Amino acid sequence: MKGGRFGVAQYVLLVAMVGVILLFVQNRAMDVEQHNQRVDLLLQLKQVEGELDRDVLLVTSFLLEQYDSLVKTTHRLHRLSGEIQSAELDVSGEGAERYRTELSGYLDTQQRKLALMERIKSKAALVRNGLHYLPAAAKQLHEEDERLGSEVSDVLAELLRYNLLSSDSGHWHIARRLNELARSTSVPVAARIAYDNVLFHMQANLRLTGELDQLRSAYTAIPGIERFDALYAAYTDLYAAQSRRAEIFSLVLLVLTVALIGGLGWAFRDIYRERRRAQRAWNQLRDAVESLSEAFALYAPDGRLVLHNRRYLDCYPWLSEQLGPNMLLSAVRSANKRAGVQVQYDSEKAEPVESELPGGQGRTYVEQLREGRWYLASDTRTSAGETVCVRVDISDSMRREQELRKLYRALEQSPASVVITNTEGNIEYVNPKFEESTGYTAEEAIGQNPRILKSGDKSPEEYKDMWETITAGKVWRGQFHNKRKDGAIYWEAASISPVRDGEGDITHFIAVKEDITARKRAEDQLRLNATVFDTTTEGIIVTDADGRIKTVNPAFTRITGYEAEEVVGKKPSLLSSGRHDEDFYTAMWHGIRTRGYWSGEIWNRRKDGSVFPEWLSLASIPNDRGEVQEYVAVFSDITRRKQDEEQIRRQANYDALTGLPNRSLLVDRLARSIAGARREDSMIALLFIDLDRFKGVNDTLGHVMGDELLQMVAERLQVCVREVDTVARFGGDEFVVILEDVKQANDAAEVAKKIIAELDSAFSLANREVFIGASIGITLFPTDTDDPSSMLRNADMAMYRAKDAGRNNYQFFTLTMNEQVQQRMALENDLRLALERDELALHYQPIVRFDSGELVGVEALLRWRHPQRGMVSPDTFIPLAEETGLIGPIGRWVLKTAVAQAAEWRRAGLHMRMSVNLSSRQLSLGLTVDEVADTLAENDLPAAALTLEITEGMMLEGAGEMLTWLKALKKLGVGLSVDDFGTGFSSLSYLKRFPMDTLKIDRSFVDGLPDDREDVSLVQAIVAMADSLDLKIVAEGVETERQRRFLQHLGCDLAQGYLFSKPLWAEAIPAFVSAQGTGPKAALMDGG
Amino acid sequence: MRRLFLVIVVGWQLLLLPCTISANDGLSGEPIRPVPRRHDENSRKVALGERLFHDPRLSGDDTVACSSCHQLAIGGVDRLPRSFGVGGAVGVINTPTVYNSGFNVAQFWDGRARDLEQQVEGPVHNPVEMLSDWPQVIAKLNKDEQYPAVFQAVYGDRIKREYIRDAIAAFERTLITPNSPFDRWLLGDFKALSEQQKRGYSLFKSYGCVACHQGVNVGGNMYQHMGAMGDYFSDRDEAVSDADLGRYNVTGDASDRHYFKVPSLRLAALTPPYFHDASVDTLQEAIRVMGLYQLGRNIPDADVQAIEAFIKSLVGTHPRLNP
Repeated sequence: MKGGRFGVAQYVLLVAMVGVILLFVQNRAMDVEQHNQRVDLLLQLKQVEGELDRDVLLVTSFLLEQYDSLVKTTHRLHRLSGEIQSAELDVSGEGAERYRTELSGYLDTQQRKLALMERIKSKAALVRNGLHYLPAAAKQLHEEDERLGSEVSDVLAELLRYNLLSSDSGHWHIARRLNELARSTSVPVAARIAYDNVLFHMQANLRLTGELDQLRSAYTAIPGIERFDALYAAYTDLYAAQSRRAEIFSLVLLVLTVALIGGLGWAFRDIYRERRRAQRAWNQLRDAVESLSEAFALYAPDGRLVLHNRRYLDCYPWLSEQLGPNMLLSAVRSANKRAGVQVQYDSEKAEPVESELPGGQGRTYVEQLREGRWYLASDTRTSAGETVCVRVDISDSMRREQELRKLYRALEQSPASVVITNTEGNIEYVNPKFEESTGYTAEEAIGQNPRILKSGDKSPEEYKDMWETITAGKVWRGQFHNKRKDGAIYWEAASISPVRDGEGDITHFIAVKEDITARKRAEDQLRLNATVFDTTTEGIIVTDADGRIKTVNPAFTRITGYEAEEVVGKKPSLLSSGRHDEDFYTAMWHGIRTRGYWSGEIWNRRKDGSVFPEWLSLASIPNDRGEVQEYVAVFSDITRRKQDEEQIRRQANYDALTGLPNRSLLVDRLARSIAGARREDSMIALLFIDLDRFKGVNDTLGHVMGDELLQMVAERLQVCVREVDTVARFGGDEFVVILEDVKQANDAAEVAKKIIAELDSAFSLANREVFIGASIGITLFPTDTDDPSSMLRNADMAMYRAKDAGRNNYQFFTLTMNEQVQQRMALENDLRLALERDELALHYQPIVRFDSGELVGVEALLRWRHPQRGMVSPDTFIPLAEETGLIGPIGRWVLKTAVAQAAEWRRAGLHMRMSVNLSSRQLSLGLTVDEVADTLAENDLPAAALTLEITEGMMLEGAGEMLTWLKALKKLGVGLSVDDFGTGFSSLSYLKRFPMDTLKIDRSFVDGLPDDREDVSLVQAIVAMADSLDLKIVAEGVETERQRRFLQHLGCDLAQGYLFSKPLWAEAIPAFVSAQGTGPKAALMDGG
Repeated sequence: MRRLFLVIVVGWQLLLLPCTISANDGLSGEPIRPVPRRHDENSRKVALGERLFHDPRLSGDDTVACSSCHQLAIGGVDRLPRSFGVGGAVGVINTPTVYNSGFNVAQFWDGRARDLEQQVEGPVHNPVEMLSDWPQVIAKLNKDEQYPAVFQAVYGDRIKREYIRDAIAAFERTLITPNSPFDRWLLGDFKALSEQQKRGYSLFKSYGCVACHQGVNVGGNMYQHMGAMGDYFSDRDEAVSDADLGRYNVTGDASDRHYFKVPSLRLAALTPPYFHDASVDTLQEAIRVMGLYQLGRNIPDADVQAIEAFIKSLVGTHPRLNP
């Protein structure tokens, strides 16, 4: 009832307080400072407006030289408008709406004024300019024509008046007069321009003055002051309304405050009454507590002692001096601790006494004092947070319990199972060891009969005997073969004795049992080991620490032939074969000593003297102290394994992948076949097979698929030949077949065809069809040669010929092939000597201008006059020279000779460019840029007179190094030209990367001009491309007049060809130059 | 007749008397005022503004900064007829200089931004300029290692749009070019101008150029009709574009057609091409066009050269300006 009243009172108080705060805040909403600020802003606005009006007046009167002050006024007006608009946001209440409308109306007039002012500024500037200029213009007219000048000046004077006084009638009057003047026809031509000019400016000025006038009127018509007054009045009303509201709020505030103070007084009276009632209740409580038989103390929520009885002091005598109303519970606890009070809990989980108890919960524990006294302590937390402490002296019962606990602990930790049953045999107690050995928990076992453990192998008589013994009060001892809960059987030795009560009656039986399963199991293990020892196929020797044999097993006897009796007591060295030296045994013993074991292969001797290999494992067996007690040697006869290894070694002659004979076996077989064929005068054939597209398969499908393919090929090859023939893998994708006893060459050809057909059909690989093919070279014995290695070489050569002939076919080795090889070698030798013998010479083919036929350069062409063969084509010997590296010295010779020749011509007054062909091999053969520079310097030839020609192929090859080389040459000043352009694969991007100057269109394209459409478009494309890259074009092989006309028409610059001249000896060049005078036609005739 | 003429002249003198009187009290009576030598902006704010001014992250794809078009070294412009914005977009109007822009009555050719703070909004959102928006810009600046701390130090707050605008505007207000030869002449150094330049200034006033190009910024404080004394747009080859409508685009008032903010001539010598449509490449030609269409006068070559010489004397100095 009381609590309810208090709750309501609190609620009312809260509401009242919120009310007071709200009123206070409301009252503050319109404080004086804010009011002042707002009024100040409004007044400032008005002041700025006044400044604006004044400025506009100055502008319209042309009194303002510059408008910066207007800019300031404008900005200030913008700023004030912004400020007042943001201040206006928190205006509320009666009249606020009107104030806001007035404010925005007023600000709107300001904006309109600003807009008008901007236009006034613009117009005023123009009018003023007119006023400045018109007198001068009139004066100019006056000077031209006095009569017209006077007429105009007259109007001008009116215009001036109008400007000063500005009236509508004046405007129309001047406008009319100006129109009349404009229509005037009697204007002399000389004065016309000045007259028109002055009229134009006067008309413009009149118009602008009129416009300015209108703007000024519009500006003055804006009711700025009126709007401001209305705004200010609206604001004053708003402020008055808000002040009134504030007064009402103050009054309500006063009433509320008085009411609150009244309520407070009433509350104080109530509190006083409650206190007196509480005092009486307190005294009653204290009396009740004092009369309690238990010790009692009550602590306040903050730990302060509130109340205690005398017994509490008796419990803790050392507290008597300190215990008072301000004693803290924590201080009592620490004093108790100092006095040696120990706290014990019933369970491990209990919280320490020092921790705070949650409300409404209690904690019970035991306190042990030094002098062997025990208190049952109960600390309870009331819902109000006080702690109630009650102490009961339990020293006597605690001592008894302590005794029992010791015995109980002994039982719990006993290594033997203990079971206590009642006289009916029902289990009442089991200890943890019992739980461990039977698998039953105490809860499961209690109430049960021990017969749950019966495995069933004890007879009823034995149980009966046991029961009789123990019920007679005697002790029974015996063994049980029991069953665990999980079904496992174990052995126990048990002792069962009865317990009697005070009257001597038997109340319980106690069984103490020991698990003896492990002992039994060890005995079994020993038996098992002995059997293994006797039956294993591996020989076992056990020696003592000195190496004397203690025992051997039957397998030892089987392997070595020695009986156990013959070797016991001897050393194992009696088996020694003598095949191992001292070091071997030293290493063996070292292994045993350091690692405890050794294993390896060893040769021993049997009793019958035969020697055999054995795999021996030796281990030392240490005793408890780590000293070697025994050695055990286990060994097996590995004679059989040794034989297997031999087999493997033999198979090294076969290819692991395909299972075919490998190269070494092939050579072996071939030698044998040749020997056989020689003996029997028969013929054999050797087929050299190379797969055509194997590399592609390997690259695209991977090595695993490649290997699979090779296996398939091997299978197919074997199908194609007879049993007696040999198929071998020669290496990679090369196979060799030896056909024995071939009757005629055609037989070998048939087999080759068969193989080609077989390998040409599809292979199924990785779920797709793969096509390869084979090229086969065939050589015969004894037709071609009679030695195995040259047979292989011949077949190889023939195979390459087959490949050249277009793959997937076969070729017989012929002596011609051999001859060609010989010939090539001879040519190579001759080429080596050609330089020394001075057989090389240079011809020069003129390069001329299309339009004039004028010679601009020559290309140096290499010729070889062979003493026997006559002229050898460069197509033949240049590739050979490149292949053999002879291009190095030859190229150097060409460069030196050509440069020397060019220099000679130059001295003779013939200026032309010398083009020399370069081979890419020259770079790798060490033709350095310095060397080129030196050659030029030696002959005193400017670099610009030399052009080096490279082929497209060179650009595609080693791009990096080549690029650096060419760039360096270019830097030297040497010209660079692409020879035979169009035959390679060079693209625009290559051309752009290389520092080329000239493209030479290959003769093969020029040949088809102008009829072959393809050639035409190609040459057009090349010319266009050269144009775009800013390259010069030389057309090679120009032979007909039509070609010349076509190419010239296309825009080619330079030409080279029989139409102009064939390649000439150096001596003929000056004549060609002098013949030029007669034009290209003459050149054509010369060149033939 | 001569008498009448005298009346006119005297009357005119009367009408213009106030100008003459104010011209007598020393150089302060000149319609052009010197550029102040100092600014009173907060230096930390200015430093922040300068970083932002040069920061391309204010644009949508991080490629365009304020300084991309307003290149401070060459006069606060890019000297292109139309600037390039994000993704190569082309603007619609010639870029005006950022120097001395704080003196202007409003920003942009058509005055659509009341002040520099408002002006910052324009290019940031314009699709042919920076093509961005504030949340995007603020997100990017927040990722920067330093910006958040700098904003905190200067404004005591995290990065916000009004702070970015404030800092850039503060920086732009420091872009003033005092100490021009002309200003020095105004302040009493009579040797600062050549005779030709003095004659140019006198012509500048007598032709009436000064009616619009006056004040500190020699322009920038008012709007004027492009073609006040002749129809510029019909004489021009190009069709009239939206940008040519000028202030009409802001007010929607037909009488504001072809009105533009009068550009400052302070750095005019450095900032070709000229006019809002960049139709003229040389200063001399610009002077001629102005004479014809704004004054209704053909200005002879010698006068044009003198006025050009005068305009060149208006170029002041700023540490970043290095034409």
